[in-house]
Formats: sequence, structure tokens, C-alpha cells
Amino acid sequence: MRALVIDDSRAMRRIVTSILTDLGYEVRDAGHGGEALEVLNEGWLPDLATIDWNMPVMDGLQFVSAVRSNPAWRRMTMMMVTSESEHTQIVRALAAGAHEYMIKPFTADAFRDKLALLGLLPQEVAL
Amino acid sequence: MTSTDTGQRRRLSDSRPVITDLMDEATILSVAEEAWISLVGEEEVLVPLPGDLPGDVLSSWVDVVGPWTGSVVLTTGRATAEALSRALLREAAPEVLELEDIEDAFGEIANVVGGSVKAALPGPSALSLPQVGHAPLVRNPGDVCRVDVLWRGEPLTISVQGALPPLPVSH
Amino acid sequence: MSLTATSFDWVRELVRKESAIVLQPGKEYLVEARLLPIARQMGLPDVTKLVETVRTRPDPENTRRIVEALTTNETSWFRDGDPFTALTSTVLPALLSARGSNERLQIWSAASSSGQEPYTIAMLLDDALPNAASRVSITATDLSREMVQRTRAGKFSQLEVNRGLPAPMLVRHFQRSGTEWEVSPNLRRMVTASECNLAAPLPRMGPFDVVYLRNVLIYFDLPTKQSILRRVRDLMRPDGWLFLGAAETTLGVDDSWERVVIGRSSAYRPLKGA
Repeated sequence: MRALVIDDSRAMRRIVTSILTDLGYEVRDAGHGGEALEVLNEGWLPDLATIDWNMPVMDGLQFVSAVRSNPAWRRMTMMMVTSESEHTQIVRALAAGAHEYMIKPFTADAFRDKLALLGLLPQEVAL
Repeated sequence: MTSTDTGQRRRLSDSRPVITDLMDEATILSVAEEAWISLVGEEEVLVPLPGDLPGDVLSSWVDVVGPWTGSVVLTTGRATAEALSRALLREAAPEVLELEDIEDAFGEIANVVGGSVKAALPGPSALSLPQVGHAPLVRNPGDVCRVDVLWRGEPLTISVQGALPPLPVSH
Repeated sequence: MSLTATSFDWVRELVRKESAIVLQPGKEYLVEARLLPIARQMGLPDVTKLVETVRTRPDPENTRRIVEALTTNETSWFRDGDPFTALTSTVLPALLSARGSNERLQIWSAASSSGQEPYTIAMLLDDALPNAASRVSITATDLSREMVQRTRAGKFSQLEVNRGLPAPMLVRHFQRSGTEWEVSPNLRRMVTASECNLAAPLPRMGPFDVVYLRNVLIYFDLPTKQSILRRVRDLMRPDGWLFLGAAETTLGVDDSWERVVIGRSSAYRPLKGA
């Protein structure tokens, strides 16, 4: 399985990447929404995108809307991973087309729980 | 315990709340503890005791703009900021940490703590991208809520401070 | 005063014996941080004093609190979600057709901890039934007074709501309350929480249509398991459903239950005439 990790913080990209690679994911990353769209436009389509909200150039919500407007990218699951944690923000992200929402701070266990909800936790480690 | 109701009452009498109307030290500490547990390590403990910051300090902060406007500022010794960054990156940490790595990791901690602080404030509010360097000035000593903690024995402060000077007293 | 080596060793040995989890040397600060709240609640100044007290006057309740404080993480909401899927896919339709439309469905979440399980059930039923609050009552019980109070308050930290609670359910059923999240009044009305020791005679409750008794039996010896299952059965409707933890079963413990496979999970139903 493939994942695209989108966050302007390299530290956060490394944390999320290491959780996903431990689960057997092939991971690429991007520092903002624009870079992430470039990866998609190359034809590298992930099963999962984890998306920070506040980023320079193109923020996470703009990225979600851009993905939603392209039918070819429909099967990609999008999870916001952000420190934005107000009720209205979560509603906005879900309305824009995000499938899940993980609030920072989170633990590796919490991250795996979310993947399990999305059906994206590889079976062998789900046990 | 937050005391948002006090804040409501206060805003009726003057035009904007100060942070101590909206949250207390215990709230900031619990927010910081959650951030530490998940970012720095599941067994990382913040001890709420004051310590003397060294001369060479680094701050990271995010700005909150909304009904209450100000910054959430973390300040600690440069060496502690580096140790924090290493803890954050774990096995992904490079042998030699560049300043950029430290700014990035330390800034992300401010981002996460700031996001939780913002959520506990009356909204809607916007959160800035994190910044790292010399802490923004305290404009109004009456609009500051600060906790002093020790992490692995080293002092660190978390200050939630207003960005605006005090209102002129009117009678 | 910091933890003495003798106290630390005693705690290590206790946790190893009770949970098979080994605390490495150097984890003194962890023991200190996790046990200090328990010491304070008991009116003791520090952890060393707590250890002394529990050593000289052994008490299963205090022992359990110490072990739990050092071994349990946040409970997830829908992880191991199969018993919840079974509730809406199979159990609820069966109960709705078997009961009159005025009959209230009674569900028991035994060992409900800080409330994730009863509120998960409440959310599912609220989403599945138009008038859940008047159709269903959920009884949540736990041994610990603190846990019962937390369930009543219905407030969860950010880290707790991050554990396997789908975001659409979070926004539908919770509101922000300071740094915490508070479950909606509608769900709180469905849940009644009280203290209950499963290993002692049970209070008059029920009769229950569904019982969730997950990850409790594993802590007890065989005779206690048997007596708990017998007492639970006495509080259930004859056509009720019992859910146990994924590693638990009535097989070889109490043969008065019939195992029913539902999807990837199992439920147990009282055997007729057993």
C-alpha cells in the first residue's frame, strides 16, 4: 500500500512516515498541497494521503478540494492530520471531502486505530 | 478548569478578554502533557516546577488571532531545544542536527500546543504557522498565563500571552 | 521524597506477576508519575508511602489500581469493533422484531471504565434508531468510583477521542468543552452509571437484552469466572446476547451458553433449559 504524507514540518513528516513504513507502507512526502498535487500528477497514486491543515503555498483544505475535483483520484482516502481541533474545523474538512480527521497530538496507537477504521491497516499487523 | 463564563461576563464590561479569564495554568499544563506524551515519547513527564533558564534560550511560538489575540510561546535553553528535537525525531534523527531541524521540530511542538490552546479559547480563531527565534514581547503583563516546567530536569516555560497593550482604564 | 529501590522492586514484581509486563530499571520516574495521583487520592504524601501501605495491608482493589495505572493506555472506541458491528447488523434487528414497540431495550456495559464502551453503544443506537433515547437504556457499571464519575461526566480528553472514534461520529455526538470533548446530552440521557463489583452479589438490575462483559473474566480464576457468568445470566432475558472480549469464551468455563458466530465476532446466548 502507498501513502502520501503532506506536512510542512519535516519532523512531523518523519514521525508519520515511520509509523506508516513500520506497517509496510511505501511512503512519499510533500511539504505542502502544491507539492503533493505534483506527485499525483506524476501518476503516483496513493491509497492514503495524510494532510496537515496549515501549510504555506497550498493548505490542506485546498488540497482536499483539488483532489475531490478530479474523478481520477477518487479512490484515494484522505485523512487530515492537524493541530486544528475545533468542532467547526472538523466539520469543514469532512464537508470538503476528507474521510477522517486526526488531531495532533496523537500516539502511534491512535494512528493505527484510525487506519483500522478506514480499512487501511494491513491484516498481519492488525492482530 | 477553564473559566469561560467569567470571560463572557468580563467581555460585557470591557471590550476584550484577557487570557486569565479564559484559561488557567492547569489547562496549559494538561495540554502540554498531552503534546509531550504523543510527540516526545509516551513516558515523557513534565514536572510543574520552576527552574532557571540558561542565558542562551530559544523560543518557538504560534499566533492565535480571534476574540482573544496573542501567542503561545515555548522557551527553553538551546541545548534542551536540541534534545527535544532529537526525542521528537527518534530513530529518524540525523547524527548532526542542523539549526533548521531544531527550528522545525521545536516549531512543530509549539504548533501542536498552540492548536490545543486555541481550541479551548472562544472561537473562531486562526492559527499562524510556527515561528522560532526570540520570543515576542509581553505587551500586557495582565494578559499572560504561564507555566514553568522541568523536562528531563531542564527548565522550559510555556507562555500564553496577549499581543495587545492593556486597554486604557475608563471610568 | 523519591521512590526507594525497595519500593520500585516491589512494584515491578507486582506488575510482572499480575500483567506479565516487565518494567525496566530506570522507569522509576514513570512509576512515580503514574502512582502519585493514587497516593494523593488515598491521602498519602508520596509513592513510597503508598507502596508501604499496600504492602502491609494488601487490598485487591488498591493492587488493581496500581497495576492498571502502570499498564493500561487509553481505551479505544471502535478498535475491536466487531462486537459493535454485530450489535447493529444482527442483534438490534432481532430484538426490535422480538419486542413490542413500547418495550425499552436494556443494555449493560459491565466494567465500563471511563465510558467509551457505553457511549459507543449509545452513538450506534442513536444513529440506528429514530427515537433511541426513549427506546434504549444503557447501564454502565464499573468497580471504580472514579471511573463511574468520569462516565457520568461524559468528558474525554483530546488523546482519548483520538483513539478510534470516527471523525463523523465525533462531530455528530460531541461538543468542545475547554480542552476536552463532551458527549451530547442526548447520549448522556441514555446512559446510567453506577458502581458494581462483578465478583460480589450483583444489585437488582435488568433484565438485560444485551450485555457487554469484555476483558473482565481474564482477571479472575475459574471458580470466580463461573460465578460471574452465572450471576450475569440471572440478570439477562432468556433470548439475550452476551459479548465477551476477543480472548475470552464461556467454553470450558460454563456450559449453559450457546456460542453464535456473527461476522468476525461471537456472541453467547443462554441455553434453553440449562
